[in-house]
Parts: sequence; C-alpha cells; structure tokens
Amino acid sequence: MSSFSCLGEGCCFESPAGYAARATAVSTSSGRLGNVALCVVSLRCVTRARDSASRPSLELRHIPSHLEESIILRSRSLITSLVVLGLTAVAVTGCAESSTSSVTATRVKGGTIEYGHQQEPACVFGGWIEQAYLSYQVIDNLVSLDKDHKVVPWLAEKWTPSDDQLSWTFTLKKGVTFTDGTPVDAAAVAYNFDHWAKGGNSTAQVWLHGYYKSAEAVDANTVKVTLQKPYPRFADNLTQSYFGIQSEHALKTRSEEQNCEAPIGSGAFTVGKWNRGQDIILKRNPNYTSPPANAKHTGAAYADTIDWKFVADPTTRVATLRSGETDAIYDVPAIEWKTLKNEGFQELKYVTPGRPQQISFNTAEGPFTDERVRQAFAYSLDRKKIVETIGRGVIPYEGNGGVSQTTPGYSETAADHYDYDAKKAQALLDAAGWTKGSDGVRAKDGKRLEVVLPYGAGSIINADGAAIFQGIQEQAKAVGFAVKLVPVPPSAFFAGAYSKQTERDLAVGYWTAVNGGILDINWRPSTADDPNFNNAAFLDDPALESSIVEANSTRDISAQNALYAKAQNYIAEHALSIGVYDRLSTLAVSPKLKGVWQETAQGGPVFYDAYLVK
Amino acid sequence: MTLTSSNDSLLTSAPQHTGSLTAARARLVGRKILSAAIVLWGSATVAFAAQAALPGDRATVILNTRAGQAIERTPTELAQINSQYGLQDPVVQQYFHYIGGLFRGDLGVSYQQFRPVTSIIGEQLAPTLILTLTTIIFAWIFMIVWVTLTAGRSRLVSGFGEFVDTVTAGLPHYWLGIILLLVFALGLGWFPVIGGSSIRGLWLPALTLAIPLAGFMGQATRTEFENSLGQLFVLSARMRGMGDLAVRLRHVLRHSVLPAVTLSGWALGATISGAVIVESVFTRAGIGRTLTTAVNTQDLPVVTGIVVLIAALYVVANLVVDVIYVLIDPRLRTSA
Amino acid sequence: MTSLRPSVLPRVRSHPLVAAGPGLWTSIAVLAFFAIAAFAPGALASHGPTALDLDHSLQGPSFSHWFGTDESGRDLYSRIIYGTRESLAIGVGATAVSISIALLLGSIAGLAGRFVAGTVNRIIEVLFSFPTLLLALLLVAVLGPSMITQIVAVGVGTAPGYARIIRGQILSAKNSGYVEAAVALGHSRWRIVRAHLVPNAVRPLVAIIALSIGQSIVWASSLAFIGLGVAPPSSEWGALLDAGRTYVTQAGWLIIVPGLVIVALALAATTLGKHIQNVLEKGEK
Repeated sequence: MSSFSCLGEGCCFESPAGYAARATAVSTSSGRLGNVALCVVSLRCVTRARDSASRPSLELRHIPSHLEESIILRSRSLITSLVVLGLTAVAVTGCAESSTSSVTATRVKGGTIEYGHQQEPACVFGGWIEQAYLSYQVIDNLVSLDKDHKVVPWLAEKWTPSDDQLSWTFTLKKGVTFTDGTPVDAAAVAYNFDHWAKGGNSTAQVWLHGYYKSAEAVDANTVKVTLQKPYPRFADNLTQSYFGIQSEHALKTRSEEQNCEAPIGSGAFTVGKWNRGQDIILKRNPNYTSPPANAKHTGAAYADTIDWKFVADPTTRVATLRSGETDAIYDVPAIEWKTLKNEGFQELKYVTPGRPQQISFNTAEGPFTDERVRQAFAYSLDRKKIVETIGRGVIPYEGNGGVSQTTPGYSETAADHYDYDAKKAQALLDAAGWTKGSDGVRAKDGKRLEVVLPYGAGSIINADGAAIFQGIQEQAKAVGFAVKLVPVPPSAFFAGAYSKQTERDLAVGYWTAVNGGILDINWRPSTADDPNFNNAAFLDDPALESSIVEANSTRDISAQNALYAKAQNYIAEHALSIGVYDRLSTLAVSPKLKGVWQETAQGGPVFYDAYLVK
Repeated sequence: MTLTSSNDSLLTSAPQHTGSLTAARARLVGRKILSAAIVLWGSATVAFAAQAALPGDRATVILNTRAGQAIERTPTELAQINSQYGLQDPVVQQYFHYIGGLFRGDLGVSYQQFRPVTSIIGEQLAPTLILTLTTIIFAWIFMIVWVTLTAGRSRLVSGFGEFVDTVTAGLPHYWLGIILLLVFALGLGWFPVIGGSSIRGLWLPALTLAIPLAGFMGQATRTEFENSLGQLFVLSARMRGMGDLAVRLRHVLRHSVLPAVTLSGWALGATISGAVIVESVFTRAGIGRTLTTAVNTQDLPVVTGIVVLIAALYVVANLVVDVIYVLIDPRLRTSA
Repeated sequence: MTSLRPSVLPRVRSHPLVAAGPGLWTSIAVLAFFAIAAFAPGALASHGPTALDLDHSLQGPSFSHWFGTDESGRDLYSRIIYGTRESLAIGVGATAVSISIALLLGSIAGLAGRFVAGTVNRIIEVLFSFPTLLLALLLVAVLGPSMITQIVAVGVGTAPGYARIIRGQILSAKNSGYVEAAVALGHSRWRIVRAHLVPNAVRPLVAIIALSIGQSIVWASSLAFIGLGVAPPSSEWGALLDAGRTYVTQAGWLIIVPGLVIVALALAATTLGKHIQNVLEKGEK
C-alpha cells in the first residue's frame, strides 16, 4: 500500500484534494507524533478522492488552527513507524465516511440495523440498565415518557388515580397481543405487578417497596392497582423498562432459561437468536400494533432485523462504526466525541435522570461524621475542572449530590453549594481539630486523616470515572486528606465488599430514575425491620426523610418539586453527598441510519422508528 | 523422555516389555487414563475449593449481579436463592454433589443465565479451539521460517533474528491486538473489525496471539538450531553436496523443534488466558471472556465447568505432543 | 544418551548477541537506568508522578513533556520513572516466586521415589492445566488488587511450566556420566544432589529467568486489562498501558511508550541473562 511512501518532508499538502482530506483527519490533533499519521492519511485520502470522482466532492470542513502549522516529519525511528502503524487507520476511514455522507438519502426497505453495544447481560429482561436497554426493544410498558418528561400512553390508553391517591386505574389498548399470541389483558398486567413485587425484577421491586399493595383485573381491559401510600408519580416510574409487561402465559409455562433468553412481550421486535459472546438478533414483530404515543410512526418497525452486537472494547466499537460494520454505537468515548462529529456521524447524548455519579460520605462512622470535615472535603475539590478536562467537555459536571440536572425538581442551589476553595477547606479542618503532619496528611488524636474510597472497577466506574477519582484524590491531598482508592473487582464488589459502614468512608455510584423518588431509595433510613442498604451515607435523619416522604406523596407537581429541591439543598448544606458528573447515555449514528432516538426514561436507543438509507 | 507430561510416556517405554507387548500397552493405556482422570478430578476440586474460599456470600452475589447493585440483602431474599441452588448445605456436601454430577456429565446450571453449563461451554468451545489451533499453526510457520532464515548466519543477521524473537515475545497482547486492528482492519480494510465467527475474522485474533508465541518458541528453537548446525551429521550432509537450505530444513530443523513442541502443549493453556483480551478487542465469542464473566459474577458451576474442560483439553494436547515427539525423533522410541 | 535429550532451554555458546559487544553494553546501560529509576526516581523524573496539570492534558511529546501527558495532564515520562519500582518488583518478585515453587516441585518430581514423584507430577499437571488467568482472577478476588497479589498470581501461575523444565533437567543430569561417576566414587546422595544435580538444573535457567521478568510484566498488564491491576494512582507499567488504551487513536503515545518500555526491559534482561548463562557454561567446560 502507498501508506508508507509518504515518509518525506512536506508531502502532505501538495494536492488541492489533500486539503479536504486533511480536514477530515482532525482526529490526531495534538503533538508531533499525531501529525506523522496525519501526513500518511492525507495521501491515502487523496487517492480515494480521485477514485471516487463520480461522487460528490469532499466537504471542506473547519480546520483547527493548531493543524495549520506545517507538518514536517523528521524522525524515522521505531517509535515513528509504530505510531504511524497505530494511528493511520482511524483517520483513513474518516475520509471514506465523509465522501459518502453528502449523498442524498433514499430509504431502504427492511434491512438489518447493525448496532454495537457495550456490555452483554446474562438475561434480556432484568433489573440492570443494560437489560433495560435491550428489553425495551422487545417488551412494551404500560406508559412511556416523552421528550418533555410527560407520561404518555403505551399499552395503557389512559390512567387515573383515585381521589385518595391510593388506587390507580389503567385502561388498556384493545386488541394488543403478546408475540406468543396471548392477549395483553388486565389479568396479564396484574400478574406482572405481582411478579415484579416478588422479585421478578429486582429494580422494579425496590420501587414498589412500601407503596405497592395489590393489582387486580376489573374487566378485560381495566387494571386497578392499589397502593399503601399515595404516590402521585407512580405512572412516571412505570415508564422504565424494568416495568415491561410480559406474557403471563410465557412466565407461567416456560422455563426460567427461556424467559431469560427470549422473554415474550408485545414489543416491536422479538428475540431471534442469542449468540452468546457476540450478538443478539432481534426480529421485527410484523403484527406490532402498540407503539408508544411518542413514537414517530405506527405499525410494524421499519427494519427487518437488529443485530445487537456486544463490542466491549471502546476503541474497537468506534472502529466498527468507522469501518461501516455498525450503523450505530453506544457509549462513545469522550475523546472521540468531536472527531466522530467532524467525520459526519450523528451524535446523540442524554443525561439520565436520577442519582448522578456522586460521592456519599459515611455519616455514621469515621472522620466524616463531622460535618465540617465533609464540607472541607467538598471545598478542597475543583470537581468542575477535573470533570471537564477528563470528560473532554462531553461529560457534564454535576455539583448536586442528590439528583442529576434532568431530574424533575432539580435544585441549582444545591448544585452550586461548594466551589473550589482550598482556604475554606483548610480552615474547616483546622477548626475540626485536624492538624497537618510532616507528610502533608492531617491527623487528630494520633489518627491520620485517611479515608477509604472503594469503587466497582470495570462495572460501575469506567476508565473515565477512574481517572476523575484519581484527580479528586490528588486535589484532596493538597488540603491534607489521604484518599485511598480501592478498585474492587466485580466478584468482590457484588459480594458486598466495602458495603458496610466500618469498611469505607466514601461511596460512589449512580442510579437512573425518572423522578425525585430516587431520593427516598437512597436516603430512607435503615431500620432493623426494614433495612435500606441503598442508603450509602448510613444516614438516619428524620428531617431529610420527612421532606422526601412528603414530596413523594404530594400531588401538586410544583409543590412536590419544591419539596424535592428542599431535600437536595439539605443534602448539600450538610454535605451528605456531593455530585461529580452526570451519567450519560451516548450514541453515534452513521449517516446510513436515520430515525434513531433515545428514550428519556433511561436514555436507551430506540430502533422502532429507525430505517436505513441508500 | 524428560519433557512429556509424565514419566510413563505412551510410546517410548512400550518396547521395554518385550515379553507381552499388548499387555504392556494395555497397562500403559490404563495408567494414562487413570492419570488423566486424576488430573481432571484435581482440577475440578481445586476450582471448587478456590471458589468456595472466595469472600462474601454467594447468594448475595447472585442477587446483586442480577440487579447491578452492590448492597447487602435481606434474609428472605437470600433464603430463596439458597434453597434454589442448595447453597445452605455444608460445603462438603455441595462438593460431593458437584463431583457426583460431574461423573454423570452434569455440570450444573448457571446462576446467571439459568442454562445448563454444558450448553454454555458447548457454544464457546468451538471458537476457542479454532482460535487456539490457528494460533499454534501460525506461530509454527513464523517461527520455522524466521529461525531457518536467520539462525547461524552472519553476526548481524543472527543478532537481528534473535532481537526480533525477544521483542515479539515481550509484546503485550492488548498492545499488539489494537495496533493490528487499527492498521489492518480499520485502516487497510483487509479484515473485518468485528472478528465474529468468520474465517476472515480469525486472522487478526490469531496473529495477535501467534506473534508473541512465535517469538517465545523461536528463542528456544534458535539455540538448539545453532547447536545442531555445528554437529557432525550436518557437516557430513554438506559434504555430500547438499544445499544450505536443504540441510537446514531436512536435518537441522528436525533436531531443533522438540522444545517448541513442548511449548506448544503449554501454549494451549496460555492461549486461553490470552484469549480474554483478544476476544474483547476483536469481539469474538470464546471461553476466555465467558470465564472472566463467570468469575466476576461468582457463577461457580460455569467456572468449574470451564476448568474441567481446559484440563481435558490439556490432557489430550499432551497425548498429541507425546505422539509428535516420537514421529519427529524416532530414536526416542527406543531410549529408556 | 544426554545428547539426544532435547532441552527447552537456550544453551547459548558463542552467540553474537552475547559476546560482550554493543548489545550487551546497551542492555547493561538500560538495566542500570531502570535500577536508578527504581531506587531514586526523583533523580530522573521531571515532574511528580501524580501532579495534575489540568490545563495541559493529552499533550503530545515535547521538550517539557518528553513522553507527553495523560488525560489529567500528568507527565508520562515521570509516571514511567516512578512506576519502575513496582514494575520491577512485579517482574522480579513474580519470577522469584515462580522459580522457587518450580525448584521445589521440580526437584521432588525429579529426585524423589516413584510414589512421591508421581504425586508431585500429578500436582504439577493439575496446576499446569489450571489457567493462569483464572488463578489470577481468583487471587485478586480474595486478596484485592495490589502489587503483592500480582506477584503471587503471576508467580504461582507460571510456576508449573518451570517446574516441568527443572524436572527434565534433573532427570537428564541424573543419567549423565558425571553423576554416575560421583556415585561410583561413593559420594553421598545429598552431596550429589547439591553439587551436581541442582547446579546443573539451574544453570540453564538463567536465560529463562531473565526472559520471565519481562513476561511477568506483560502478564501484569493483562491483569490490568481486565480491571485487576494495581490500585491507582500507581503508575506501574501494565497499569499505564491499560489506562492509555481509551486514547490509542487520539493520543497514541499513552499506550505506545509504556509498551516500548516493557519491551526494552524484556530485551535488556534477556540479553544480559543469555550472556551470564553463556559465561557460566563456558566456565563449566
């Protein structure tokens, strides 16, 4: 190949076409090493441009100023050639993509959407977000959440709470059937409620806990759900895929294995074949009649098949999109965000509502029982700068430790409570009696200010997250905290290592939810009869809990939001938890695929309206 | 025989018992089978014991993994799981239950996938075997070509040959894999980025594993090769007018590859360990990732099942190595 | 019959690379550099290993940052220097663990009576068939990710291979002429083992040991890949290699430089090891 013939000086910008090609190759932006690859890339792009003379000409794109400097190749060392080897590739395909992107699109009938997802769950339906994304394609819910976070019809046409808020009546669409042929009727829906509450979906179970009482079929199309306490946002919660309605017949008669691998819903797609370790083939349900009200069309899905691939490695995932092996990928690495956009890919980004990625303080044991120490920790960090640097401007900074910015009732006040202020942090620690030792770490009564921050490595916290927490560790060190980061391997993490109050001082983690009700899950005090192990701060604070509980049962939305905001402000003031960054759901979509959107309950991709173009 | 799996090599010691050849063979085969059974049982036991020693409550892990949360669980939640999988029984009882199942060919049911372990492994076995065998073949080709071309040449060529051996042997798999992927799959488009189960998709994963293995085997072969070059039989072959390449291929190589044969048996296990990276980078199905996931989720039946399977493969591979040994060097057949 | 016994061990005689030429001196210089880096990193580093510089993240190699900076602006060169101690500790430590276990098991398998040797052989085989990866995964789950865990995991994982090699060496030495001579001379069993068998079995291992140091670091980087590396903010080389992988297409130096450093160490150690072995074997003759 001609790729390596370009190792001479100034060969990059000889031809006019090289100019265009150079612009598409902004991926290797900084540093001399990067430029080496650029040079090689340009030549290939020129060749390609000539080859495709019949195609519309390459688009001229914005060229970052730092690329304008002349690119001269001096070194032919081993490093250079390795860099060339390693870096050429990516940008090369960049030009290929851009040369096709400006062709007018005509819709392809049917076809297979190749989608590159990240993690492979054990079952299609379950309590994990990766399962929710998958089961959304296969299983319909009673209700759906639209763009403006309004609850709209799906399997249920309408729903009304009783005056005392203790019972909810759902009226179902008529004539909808599960893909095993059985009807989506009131009995099946009622059965699903009991199924979730018994642990059929662990996350649904947590939400229903303390509120759900019973569900019964009033007639064939009417379900009455009875609650123990009023919960005006009950319908909102039912929009998450954990509350997908499955065939009662399938749940009762099929094996656990079958219901795990290919659950029966009434969705736009059915599970075809699961090639473990590679992909799941989802087949169009030709008889689909029940799209949510916020979908863009009715009837069956456009595409015949979705090939839902599990491409675990982020670099590989991006490569599959560039090589055209996938039409869309999930979880775009922050570092690739800009370059993919420049190469003509459509990018979708959704900040999931619920608990953001945050740090909770252990308020029951250790140094953080002292509020001043908690506040000092918060003041010692320039969280915004760390997140924006490592997140490359893609991952949003989140100051609020209670809920993320897309959650109803979000409080700006709580988010802005702590700005970086090292002096204040020092003063607070001095006041609390922690004095600086010779090694820079503070101590009190002979005890060093060492705090343990465990995190689920490779499960809850990804590489960007790990880098961010290292930044936090370094900044907290400046005022005298010795933060011990403990990456907990998944096997130990899910075994509950570091889940006890004696084991850790700080806890990190997120939880997607559609409303402020998540505050109750995360802050409800744990009691002997009714333990709440999701209370990561080990906090028992009646003042906080009463405003959350009151909010949960307040019917007026603005009054409810005010109460949720009050709870968030309380969390911020007392530094019970501080936010770090928002959990993002991102997609990059090829110009060949149109009509993909992200559902707003959890940010999963929706392929029902998606179609391929020629 | 010093390098095969055991002292009683299948083919080498048979001729010693001149009296009753068949009886001796039968005894030997019996010993081999017994030895294989012991290795299988030992592996299963070690795997079971190691996992029983893992910290934390298994029922908690099962529930937490299903929910993607890491929290404590209530006794009622745990009781249900414990009774379903018999986790409340004493460990010894669980062990005997497991070994009993093993004898009947029943490896149990996965805690996470709700499927029999045999079908989980069955799906992943073929991709792993194909990858491993291709890797070993590639590694052999590279190694033979490279060593034959460069060993025992001028100081510069030999030095360079050895330099390449050492460098390639020290290449981290991820490093090599991602560079091959970016250059040959994404950049040049010769291979698909997603390896999958296609033949074209097999090249890069196999190369990623084969290149360091070739370097490693090359290091062992090269020294033997250079020693052999100075031997009398080589000299006499040359005096008979044999060309250099012919001498190298027909005489020297045969005397130098035995260490590499042994290493190939070892490579089987190593490839499975390296496979986890290759499987992730090239999006392949296979035992490596299945094993990692299973350990992470403490899916004991799957982990133990895979260990038993790998042990079985290992036993078979070593038998094959025994046979190849004798085929390559017939003199070993008579050496005591 | 020893000449017919194949050996997996490099038996280097007058190899160009091991003759004390520029290769050897370069290797010694590289190893000396790493030794200084391990014991006095401050003398070589230009920055602190964890010092953030958020305004200069992902900078390519330049005069102020020889190997560039990472995602939070930390100087890669300094991180490599400060990571040397842990990397060498893993390389050397794992090799030591591995060779010690191998010597013990290998000698018993080679020297003990039929029953004991048979039992030990089965143990070696069980260990051998047990994937190193799994062993590492299980150990990390029990002990938590740390340098010690990596040393133990990699050391125990690679021991059975060496055990088999040592057993082979001992068996071949046992049947060799000089042992028979020693027996004929009436030397005690223990003396024969100590003076002939073990030295003969270990001498050819020098090159393998040297090779194994580099291999162990590569193994450690594989563990980092599956999220089981040393706890952050350590800059152990395997961890650096892993941390850089997200950036391979945009900031290639973050993965290329640590990879080259690992290869450089492996190369230097192997070259020196082969030379030492060569000298030892010449001394023997």
